Amino acid sequence: MNNYPNYNYTNMYNKSNMPSNKMYDNMNNDIYAKAYEQNIPAVEKNQNLYDPYNAFIRGNLFKNLYDPYKLKVPYDIKPMNEQAELLTYIDALGFSMVDLNLYLDIYPNDRNAINLFNQYRKEKESLMNEYEDKYGPITLNSDSLNSYPWAWDDMPWPWDN
Amino acid sequence: MWKYEKKLEYPINIKNKDLKMAKALLEQYGGPNGEFAASLRYLNQRYTMPDEKGYALLNDIGTEELAHVEMIATMVVQLMKGASVEELMASGLTAQYVGHDHAIFPTDANGVPFTSAYFATTGDWNADLTEDMAAEQKARAVYEHLMDMTNDPDLLAPLSFLRQREVVHFERFKELRDYYLKKFNQKNV
Repeated sequence: MNNYPNYNYTNMYNKSNMPSNKMYDNMNNDIYAKAYEQNIPAVEKNQNLYDPYNAFIRGNLFKNLYDPYKLKVPYDIKPMNEQAELLTYIDALGFSMVDLNLYLDIYPNDRNAINLFNQYRKEKESLMNEYEDKYGPITLNSDSLNSYPWAWDDMPWPWDN
Repeated sequence: MWKYEKKLEYPINIKNKDLKMAKALLEQYGGPNGEFAASLRYLNQRYTMPDEKGYALLNDIGTEELAHVEMIATMVVQLMKGASVEELMASGLTAQYVGHDHAIFPTDANGVPFTSAYFATTGDWNADLTEDMAAEQKARAVYEHLMDMTNDPDLLAPLSFLRQREVVHFERFKELRDYYLKKFNQKNV
């Protein structure tokens, strides 16, 4: 689970042609704002972020905020089967979107973060479609609900093990 | 409005029954620094934030905390699964059992019921955001206590995830408060 078989998030972010955008919130001494002021290339700024899986297992996308407390290494997710593995990719992308969402609420002019959010959003949407086709609905927007009998009830529910 | 995703924010699969940890974890369900209090605190305070940044951040962190309520509930339910009445009584869960059987109910670890008195909503962004920062630090401390009480990786993994979320939320609240201090030219009192 250390590497996604089909997705190299770090490279995707580096390759995206980030415009040099001088618009930023010059509001405090936050490291991201500094990166803009000094016009540091996007590639270097990207080193401040974990890839979605490594962000997910740490509960944290932004390297400067990670505080492991007593853990020498974060716990890996150990999916029991293919379904759980696919869900882990979805969880990791969804989590990275959550952390970017909170960041963007405060820094709405960070174009790199907006691009990354939208990249993860599209990747998650595609994996969600694959998951829901195979295993049933995660949301009430899913095409998999066009079935009989009503599939939303189906086990497992998240709190069951 | 809200829409449900039929999955947890972070997976929880606890194999070993542990009633003492179940009782301790109730602190983060219905305790003063728990996830219910966090979610309701931010979702109530969001209406009187000064601008769109405050609306968005309190809305979105309050929403994420609802997913944490669900994670804590899932941990407690799984830790209590299959416990006998005798086992519950031997683990300090007699009062829990008599009122609620194996259901969970928002209390702190001592069984004190949840109350909205656990959070303020003053209508003053500086007071509210300062409370929110403290709330995140208190929850981080409680998660450290919980992590100190167990060696079970099935518990430590989600607890460390939740602990780190407190760290990140604290930082975002702090950034918002710093932004408002500057925007409204207030001294950092």
